[in-house]
Amino acid sequence: MKRQTIKKTEKTAGILYCLLIYLFLFLPIAVIVVNSFNATTTKPYLSWKGFTLDWYVKLMDNTPLLQSFGNTIIIATASTLLATCIGTLAAVGMYKYKFKGKSIIDGLLYIPVVIPEIVLGISLLTLFSKTNIPRGMLSLILAHVTFSIPFVIFNIRARLAGYDNSIEEASIDLGANRRQTFFRITLPVLAPGVAGGALLAFTLSLDDVIISYFTNGQTKTFPLKVMESIKSGVSPDINALSTLILIGTIFLVVLSQRSNMKKNK
Amino acid sequence: MNLKLLSIALAAASVLSLTACSGSSAAAETAKKTLNIFVWTEYVPDSVIKDFEKKTGITVNVSTFSSNEDMLAKVKAESEGAYDIVQPTDYMVEQMINQGMLEKLDKTKLTNLGNIGGSYLKPSYDPTGEYSVPYLGGVGAIAVNTSKITDKITSYADLFNPKYKNSLVVLDDFRATIGMTAHSLGLSMNETDPDKLAQIKEKLLTLKDIVKLYDSDSPKSALITGDCTLGFCWSAEIALAMEENPDIQIVYPEEGAFLFLDNWCVPKGAKNYDAAMEFINYMLEAETSAKVSAEFPYLNPNTAAVALLGSEYIDNPAKNPPADVISKGEFVKNLDTATIAVYDEMWTALKK
Amino acid sequence: MKGRKLKSTVGPAAVMVGPVTLWLAFFVAIPLLYVFLMSFCSLDENYNVVFSFTLDNYARLLDPNYISIYLQSLLIAFLTTVICLVVTYPFAFLIARTLSKYKAVFYMLVIIPFWTNSLIRIYGWRTFLGANGWLNNTLTAMGIIDKPLDLLFTKGTTILGMVYCLLPYMVLPLYTAIEKLDKNLLEASADLGAKKITTYRRIVIPLTASGIFSGSIMVFIPCLGLFFVSDILGGGNSDIIGNLIERQFQSGNNWPLGSALSIILIAVTLLLVKLYQKCGGDLESLGV
Repeated sequence: MKRQTIKKTEKTAGILYCLLIYLFLFLPIAVIVVNSFNATTTKPYLSWKGFTLDWYVKLMDNTPLLQSFGNTIIIATASTLLATCIGTLAAVGMYKYKFKGKSIIDGLLYIPVVIPEIVLGISLLTLFSKTNIPRGMLSLILAHVTFSIPFVIFNIRARLAGYDNSIEEASIDLGANRRQTFFRITLPVLAPGVAGGALLAFTLSLDDVIISYFTNGQTKTFPLKVMESIKSGVSPDINALSTLILIGTIFLVVLSQRSNMKKNK
Repeated sequence: MNLKLLSIALAAASVLSLTACSGSSAAAETAKKTLNIFVWTEYVPDSVIKDFEKKTGITVNVSTFSSNEDMLAKVKAESEGAYDIVQPTDYMVEQMINQGMLEKLDKTKLTNLGNIGGSYLKPSYDPTGEYSVPYLGGVGAIAVNTSKITDKITSYADLFNPKYKNSLVVLDDFRATIGMTAHSLGLSMNETDPDKLAQIKEKLLTLKDIVKLYDSDSPKSALITGDCTLGFCWSAEIALAMEENPDIQIVYPEEGAFLFLDNWCVPKGAKNYDAAMEFINYMLEAETSAKVSAEFPYLNPNTAAVALLGSEYIDNPAKNPPADVISKGEFVKNLDTATIAVYDEMWTALKK
Repeated sequence: MKGRKLKSTVGPAAVMVGPVTLWLAFFVAIPLLYVFLMSFCSLDENYNVVFSFTLDNYARLLDPNYISIYLQSLLIAFLTTVICLVVTYPFAFLIARTLSKYKAVFYMLVIIPFWTNSLIRIYGWRTFLGANGWLNNTLTAMGIIDKPLDLLFTKGTTILGMVYCLLPYMVLPLYTAIEKLDKNLLEASADLGAKKITTYRRIVIPLTASGIFSGSIMVFIPCLGLFFVSDILGGGNSDIIGNLIERQFQSGNNWPLGSALSIILIAVTLLLVKLYQKCGGDLESLGV
């Protein structure tokens, strides 16, 4: 009997603990969502003045904000695509072939992952400044690809770990050339790794603050626009946009989980 | 080799998408007229910019900075002509002129220049008046939340009282705050003598426990939310805080205050010079300037605008600093790199 | 005929690995090299970089003001890492080993907050902890306190912000490592008479060590450079190395000094990574 009560209290304690952690994680989110309905009109927009949906309407008029969000999406998509292409080719190539200098490339790959982002940010700024690459969408995309490639490669490598080369050999024996083998045999097997890497790259790019801060020139990305508005007091239309984004991502996640479950059936 | 071809095609596609991206943004920019302005945070109202865009069809890209040094660094880091308009303060105008970073302003295009009070034209930092047009100015004054602080505060020196531990918000600006410290000792904001600088440093470090927040962007926020009950802030920020919370009062220090005057300038190589001139001229209009002051009530050198603003502005000492405050005050001046290094070191010692 | 003879592999290898090599060379190696060189440069009167070799920048790094900032950064990073570890380990353990059918949901609930912009979440803490913020107003209304708690713009607030930002980097590796634990080992340990504490101490923790190490590295290192957290929540009072570097590239206008600081930061990072590898850490797992 006593053992059962101990187990039960343990279980309750465990559940309470997890709830506390989730509370901690979601507290600021609650603040953001609630404040998006705040009827305040004066900076710093912090005291509660009543409930309103006005800010969701005002959001639509805030062209610079919406544009910054658009920029962020474009940059994330373009950099993810580019990083995934380069990264997939590289991961497979490095796995299959032995060549001199492989360890140097390996080492270089770890650098963007391991060093603090600020170092990568300032070094890219220095590069762009010296080579006169225009600071703006271009420099942002180039910067984002740079920190994304290693994550794509590592994700695919994890997938390659148990990779059985014999299916490729079989494919070639059966008459396929390298290209056909790559696209119809290799890639499908690696697909989860590629997808995982791409998703990670996209997520990192969407929320990137530090590297974008140094390489953006005058282009505003959504995180940078938020940073700017924090200085003067975040107006609730930004809260509104963040709430909408949150709802959107939850929706996408639920959708993909549903389709995953369908697939597994 | 088919794999080779495919990889080359992929690479080409990626490169094309990149160039298309930068190309389209460049093309879009040359198609419509654009203007890239770089201004202080909380200084140029969005409504004013929107009106300008509507009136002229020019798209304005606004970037903001929090200190003159930030602005200088960014302008230098970017390629020449990235910004069409910048907003340096008095001493920074002089610095930029000395470094050959500014374009001369075509006065024939600035038809509204007559609105500016005569005493503001041809200032000491721009003796020919060819490089700058005054915008707004003000005072680094003291803010007191009288419901929380019952002592009478009259000077910068009063702020250094240890009983105000952890309650002060100061400007995140090394010249301003070190200057304030200098004044509290009866010294100049532009001191170069090493012994005097040592004195200033010693006094400055006593501020460490008293300061709760360093904020040049919106110090009024901390005053309004009550996170800070004392402040050394831009005068208009205090004026706005006073409107939100009547307990907050402005105090002009008896030692003489830190004065500043911000200006419109055009950096060298600006790509949209004509649009820049149009913009500056628009900002000089009495109605525009009055709108600006309504939202950011700083000292306004535009006499035509002040006439429009009436007594609500003129008689408010926080919005319109009295003449004796201006005459007792001191502007920041440029100093040689060795002395600046000393100021820098003091500031790092304070903020660590 | 079994299998055609495959042509030489140099061509395909170059094509596949070529792009990434070029990219890394141009966007990682060369910029870092340039920063390294710049750390030995000086400034002229107009704050422009000039190529006259000097060790002045490195000498300045030994300035006692800077040293106390390094120590502060290391302390903040250390505290953040320890707090993250201690707080999330039980949580990761419970989630990773739950038999509930909603396990995937619990996992996603950890990730979802981090899809909201991190800056605005940090700002959310500012709204919550301020003198007139949610927490103080609620506690005052309930009569628990009569003066608002001083929670904002302190070093503690900075640590809170860092913990909040870097939590997922600790949770995910822990979760992965804990999930791999063989239930039978735990049962065997209990069967052999070990108390729960002993099982945790001598079986669970050592077996999940890889997760603990990679989580710790992934929290500690970024912590040194996360300047916006100390800006927004610390009020400018808790400067870390990241703030120092940021200042030199912005208002300080001193790129050579900023470069020297960055080189030192890279050195510290590489040292930590080497330490991590010596402790048996797997470099690969850091990126997944």
